[in-house]
Amino acid sequence: MKDLYRIALAGNPNCGKTTIFNALTGTRQHVGNYPGVTVERKCGSCRIGNVNIEIIDLPGIYSLSSSSPEEKVAIRELLKTPIDLVMNVVDAANLQRNLYLSTQLAELGVPMLLVFNMVDDARNRGFVFDLPKFEHYFGAPIVETVGSREEGIDQLKALTAKLLVGEAQKPAIIRYGEHIDLAINSLTTAVKDKRDFATQAIPPRYFAIKLLENDPEICALPAFAPLLPVAAELCERLAVRHGISSATLMADCRYGVIAGACREAITLNNEQRRLVSDSIDKVVTNRYVGLPIFLLIMLFVFAFTFICSEPLVEIVAFLLDRVSALIDSAWPAAALPYFKALVLEGIIGGVGGVLMFIPNILLLFLAIAFLEGTGYMARAAFVMDGFMHKFGLHGKSFIPMLLGFGCTVPAVMATRTIESERDRLTTILILPLMSCGARLPIYSLLIPIFFPLRMQAVTMWIIYIIGASLALGIAAILKATIFKGEDEVFVMELPPYRMPTMKSLLIHMGERTMVYLHKAGTIILGASIVLFFINTFPEKQILDHDYKALAETIDNSTTMSQEEKSLAQDELVSQHQAEMLNYSLAGRIGKKLAVPMRYAGFDWKASSALIGAFAAKELFVSQLAILHSVGQGEDAAQALRQKLRDSYNPLQAFCLMLFCLISIPCVGTVAVVYKETQSWKITIGQLGGLTTLAYVITTIVYQIGRALNIGLA
Amino acid sequence: MPNDTRTSPPISSSLEDYLEAIAEIIAENDHAHTKDIAEKLHVTMPSVTNALQTLYARDLIVYQPHMPVSLTARGAEQAAVIRHRHVAMKKFFQDVLKLDAQEADEAACRIEHVIGEKVMSRFIVLAKTIANREDCKPLRDFLNQTMPQLCVEDGVDLISLSELPIGRQGVVVHVDENLRALKKFADLGLVRGTLLQMEGHAPFGDLLRVKVMCSSLSLRRKDAAHIWLKQMS
Repeated sequence: MKDLYRIALAGNPNCGKTTIFNALTGTRQHVGNYPGVTVERKCGSCRIGNVNIEIIDLPGIYSLSSSSPEEKVAIRELLKTPIDLVMNVVDAANLQRNLYLSTQLAELGVPMLLVFNMVDDARNRGFVFDLPKFEHYFGAPIVETVGSREEGIDQLKALTAKLLVGEAQKPAIIRYGEHIDLAINSLTTAVKDKRDFATQAIPPRYFAIKLLENDPEICALPAFAPLLPVAAELCERLAVRHGISSATLMADCRYGVIAGACREAITLNNEQRRLVSDSIDKVVTNRYVGLPIFLLIMLFVFAFTFICSEPLVEIVAFLLDRVSALIDSAWPAAALPYFKALVLEGIIGGVGGVLMFIPNILLLFLAIAFLEGTGYMARAAFVMDGFMHKFGLHGKSFIPMLLGFGCTVPAVMATRTIESERDRLTTILILPLMSCGARLPIYSLLIPIFFPLRMQAVTMWIIYIIGASLALGIAAILKATIFKGEDEVFVMELPPYRMPTMKSLLIHMGERTMVYLHKAGTIILGASIVLFFINTFPEKQILDHDYKALAETIDNSTTMSQEEKSLAQDELVSQHQAEMLNYSLAGRIGKKLAVPMRYAGFDWKASSALIGAFAAKELFVSQLAILHSVGQGEDAAQALRQKLRDSYNPLQAFCLMLFCLISIPCVGTVAVVYKETQSWKITIGQLGGLTTLAYVITTIVYQIGRALNIGLA
Repeated sequence: MPNDTRTSPPISSSLEDYLEAIAEIIAENDHAHTKDIAEKLHVTMPSVTNALQTLYARDLIVYQPHMPVSLTARGAEQAAVIRHRHVAMKKFFQDVLKLDAQEADEAACRIEHVIGEKVMSRFIVLAKTIANREDCKPLRDFLNQTMPQLCVEDGVDLISLSELPIGRQGVVVHVDENLRALKKFADLGLVRGTLLQMEGHAPFGDLLRVKVMCSSLSLRRKDAAHIWLKQMS
């Protein structure tokens, strides 16, 4: 017996493979309907009796033919890693399509175990299986399971252990008819001569078939180069004989063989029930009501996310305040004053910036996980495709764009489901234009100050619309220029509706949130520390006023009431901060920035606050507060509003919002864009492009507004 | 100008038909009456008389009023050539293109007159080669298998997937080679013989939703236009 056995878990997308994986390993992982949920390599380990097993969860694939990144990953994994057993999960309700992959897996010559998952679904459709016949056909034992209810998992485990320890048989050789088999055999002989058997566990027949299929990955292997002309000729001859394209020769034969097997081994009983899924879809993907339903669902998702997260955000803010106060009082003032300031302002501020998002992100991901888990996401892409296609994007781009309204970071991560590289990059590039949740504080600060009540909602709406239309417009331009080319093939499966289990939803939500914390959180934290430094240093030594003395004067004043005193103290502190900030690196950069930014309606304070906005959009507000010499807190907010009203006019306020909407994505976005594209060219290009665009548009708006005398009062 | 007395000016295709018919009738009855010829060719007696006079003028038949027609030596020779061509043609249509006897006969009749001697003779060599040579056996096997299938789907009632009405079903008969990502579609089950059902169109029209086996796939209309189906009632 070996120390460790290795199992490869393979299956079509949406066949419930991940559920089986979870049931076997206990590794908590997402179960979803949305195509492409498992893209990364996932491993898990489990112990059955005294057998140690490592399970590799291959991405969901329809075929082993290297026509998509997932398929390439799977093939490489299967060829390179020595595997003791292939566990092929099959959607029993859709055997024909699923067994297509099984015929290919069988050719690997590795013992195989077929898992007929979701047999309850199959029974509902009235299928009755003759399992011994199927077992004979594939030369592999079969276990029936219902993954979501963990039915049949014990049998699966028992059989797995038995197969691993005992002498498992290799799968049967599948025959494709006289002429095809002859061709395969002659190629197999040729492959045998060419290959060094010591290095490969995969039988030559597998390679022979792949050569006949003209599989790009296998044909690229140098050892087979001399065989290519032979294979091509054989393939061409067979294709002509069968009257079909040489590219689909093997696919045709495989489906033919499967159709034969299914005819023999599946019978239909009369218990077919009307499928709920189809009835739902009649309404949800309807030509006329499909779109309104989709928009309603999205409205609900947003309402759910933002309304439910509000109290949670308050709790987080409260806790942060307490922690901050605790440290402040416990830390002696004399010991390491700079370090104390760093901890209080830089680190706690940074952690706060990250944590404040958590409730929003948790709930947004919960909602998304639900939509994915039920299978609605694919419908959403289907429904929205017509609209998105007009802008050179396709349905799948819509989901990331929607997420972009919450936070750009997860939105960029969600673009992975888009297969075409050009479409994916286009989507990533425009995502920062979808006004994210962090920009909301900016709007909600400025709009009530400068716009009359009846105009407030409309102004907010206009800002969001400007962002979305710019995004679509730029997408169209990008697709017509840089990413020009014929749009790629779009095929998407619409899986049947299923009710996701609460457990899988929570697992998924947790996983995604951890990724956010890991990828964005660390960067936001780092950025707020850097921001602390450029806000603090160089420190001004000779101050304009002696703040200590002034504070004492106030304290000793006899004419002021206690309340007036504390107010005056606060103002004094803010004045002090403002003077320090003015002198600091941030203030200096802000002043330099203000020279060109003047044309866009920015003064130096707003320009400096932009530096904060780069770290995280919501920092724009707090920077602005400091620069206007007001503290933070309830009274201070009122004071800030007053100061802002004095300093800016509505046109400037609109320009401020416009610039924040379009300009530089935050550090988190920049980081995640680089991680997802692996290209500094694209990352920097996006950063520069959006910033330039923001400047140009804001300047134009400001200058036109000034010339036409709009919003100056 | 070369003066070759053996080659007579070419006669029209209808005259060839007459000559052929006369030869056939003589082969059966030893002599041919005008009435028999008219019956065989489904023409009127006066047209037969007309044609016979022309053939007589060309010295191809012996023709006297109220006497059975017989062939001159030259006429017999030409009739044999025509006959030979017809048989070879018919054999080609029957053995190689796998048409049934009547179809083959009709096609041969139509084609034998319009192609010249040169093309015809080469054509016959080709037909004989395919039929007899040992190294053409794989070709014969292929033809045996492919041709009958082609006859069945004569393209008349095929419909492209993009045109399939909602709710209707069809079996894939043919997938155009210029379909993009042909292999990808094949992997998903869009191969010959698969039953498809049109489930609906997305809003704004471009995406189609098709039931393939037991799953729903959505694909673009322009790709679907390359997939040809036989509609099921």
